[in-house]
Amino acid sequence: MTSEGFKRHGSNSYITEFAQNEREILINLAEQIIELLAERIDHGQEDPLAAMVGITSHDSPPDDEVLHRLLPNAYQDQADSAEFRRYTESTLRNKKQAHAMAMRMYLKSAEDGVIDLDHDGANAWLGAVNDIRLALGVRLNVQERTQDELELLAPDDPLRGVYIVYGWLGWLQEGLIEALMDEK
Amino acid sequence: MVKTDTKIEEEIRAIFSSDTPWVTIVWDDPVNLMTYVTYVLMELFGFPKAKAQELMMKVHTEGKAVVSTGSREEMEHDVARLHEYGLWATLQRGDQGL
Repeated sequence: MTSEGFKRHGSNSYITEFAQNEREILINLAEQIIELLAERIDHGQEDPLAAMVGITSHDSPPDDEVLHRLLPNAYQDQADSAEFRRYTESTLRNKKQAHAMAMRMYLKSAEDGVIDLDHDGANAWLGAVNDIRLALGVRLNVQERTQDELELLAPDDPLRGVYIVYGWLGWLQEGLIEALMDEK
Repeated sequence: MVKTDTKIEEEIRAIFSSDTPWVTIVWDDPVNLMTYVTYVLMELFGFPKAKAQELMMKVHTEGKAVVSTGSREEMEHDVARLHEYGLWATLQRGDQGL
């Protein structure tokens, strides 16, 4: 990992340079989020007219724990939550996919590894990186595990690699936020 | 019976009264960075940094904080925007108690 993180240049430019392996990891993660969100679209079962205006047949939360964290309930009350989900989930899914697609596009078009974000690009990037961290967080079970337990994962534990990427993404996100906060 | 009647009356009044505010609550989450929560609150609600940090600390130490108050529609809009950026948020009637 060789990127030094995002730095602010001028009034609306946030730049970093990724090594090839970093770029590939980030593209891969963004694509996984895009695919995961696409799984939630139930082809064929949807009323096409309703789908056109963003109403889906989904009114129950996703079974998959990661999807549930990305598309959470809006109410503690189940009935209210189901109603809200029916009218808003597809919009939320589209917005999250758009963030991940923007991130992928930046990375794909930066063959030299240099990423240059404007403010809106930075916000999309932050949203996408955060969704990836939320997904990895579920897989790492950060809800139950303590920081120490995660630090002590054995080198041959498959979660060890996940934890390293999770930590690196947090560092990357933190740097971009600091660069953005500079102007506030 | 008297109690029930009072309760129904209260419910009916609440339904027809437009001044019962709704609230948006942000819940603590072990993944979201403190700086990220602060930044999202500043971006979405236009809070100054100090206020956003104060709310973030409340979420962090007390497990939750009310970040906005208004009509049900407005709060649904706020929750949707918070979900877009991965914050864990719900809305409820303001008099429901936290």
